[in-house]
Amino acid sequence: MRRTRLAVSLALLVLLSGCASFAPPQPWEKQYLATPAMQFDADKLDVRNTQHIYYSKEGAAGGYGIGGGGCGCN
Amino acid sequence: MASAAAAVAATDRTAPRVRALLAAALALPGIVPAPAAAQTMPDAGFIQFKYLDYRDWQPGARRMRVENPGFYVMSPFAEAWVVEGALVYDGMSGASPMWHDTLSGASGEGIHDRRAAGDVKLTRYFDGFSVGAGVAYSHENDYISRGGSVDLRVWTADKNTTYTFSYAGAADRIDTPDGAANHERKYVNDFLVGVTQALSQTAIVQSNLTYTRGHGYFDDPYKTFDSRPDNRRVLAWLTRLNRHFPDHHGTLQLAYRYIDDSWDANSHMVEAAWVQPLPHAFSVRPNLRYYTQRAAYFYFDPPFPTGLVFGQPYTADTRLSAFGAFTLGLLLAKDFGGGWSGDLKVEYYRQKSDWRAGGNGSPDILPFSARWIQVGVGKTF
Repeated sequence: MRRTRLAVSLALLVLLSGCASFAPPQPWEKQYLATPAMQFDADKLDVRNTQHIYYSKEGAAGGYGIGGGGCGCN
Repeated sequence: MASAAAAVAATDRTAPRVRALLAAALALPGIVPAPAAAQTMPDAGFIQFKYLDYRDWQPGARRMRVENPGFYVMSPFAEAWVVEGALVYDGMSGASPMWHDTLSGASGEGIHDRRAAGDVKLTRYFDGFSVGAGVAYSHENDYISRGGSVDLRVWTADKNTTYTFSYAGAADRIDTPDGAANHERKYVNDFLVGVTQALSQTAIVQSNLTYTRGHGYFDDPYKTFDSRPDNRRVLAWLTRLNRHFPDHHGTLQLAYRYIDDSWDANSHMVEAAWVQPLPHAFSVRPNLRYYTQRAAYFYFDPPFPTGLVFGQPYTADTRLSAFGAFTLGLLLAKDFGGGWSGDLKVEYYRQKSDWRAGGNGSPDILPFSARWIQVGVGKTF
């Protein structure tokens, strides 16, 4: 079962990464990477609010970051 | 504004204001940020206010309402330092915990609670890496949490790869008015290892591994007979890919997360979003998320309290049942110029046992629905 999960996870990772070819950009080729839409967690309070909601309504959370301290919501 | 790729912009021809917005994101207070292709010192500050209105319900009954104003500020100073902080306030009312709780169901008292939380973080930038440290505090009538965190970020010379290493610890204290929890304690240690890689001119990927280990009081003191193990280990693996399509001027954002839980509430999450700029500096971002989890090994199906054996872990908390959930959302944002920006986001969320991947969701549980709306305004300075 665990092996299956790992295989699924790896397959998804490959799929995600496979959407793009690997050709790291030169410094003058980063205009698209610099746009807000290409950032992860661009809106701090949005991420914070949304993950807080999922944390309080679903079984387990993690991955997005650490260090926010606890709460009595779960 | 954006999280990590702050630094990507520093070496290219991006306009100063965009660069400042990007730089605004270096570290999420409360959540260690997801660094992008590189890190440099942000050259402008950013201030943001956001108001969240949350409601949830089940068939025939409204349950919980939360009103949450939040405030975030980040500012560079003394050439190599960045300070940032956030304050949030939750006003909660209604009749949540869902099943067999001692506040809403049996007594009919309902819930009225307030939560105030804040955190501050300081980051020092060096050539090729940064070091940050922060503290966090959260206060509710029955729950106080104190935490601290440190992180190290290292990026390659070409700024196409960033590695993140973080540690956070929290000490929580639980005291309920009815004495069900009396000076109880919970301690949690979090570890994060992450890598962010610019794959090409139009694609960037990030993968974070977090490991959370806690011990102490995990029970829900408001749920009758709720008795959970006194320790928990959660391993979460989140991978995200952002891909820009120049021909359409749009960006696809994908995410997948797997969670392995020592309580067996393992889960998969996939999310997709599309960011589309529109005329007059507007943009829209529809998003769709799917989540599926298995039940904790000590969760027992209705009728309550089937499966209860005193001295053994037990819960009827449906958050630890087996279910699937969808979120559908839409964000509308506008850049007003002069450093001002605004946004409106609406999301609808629904949990159903039948939606668990592969079936076999927990039986006899009513669907659970929620919707939340966020209105925000930000300004660089």
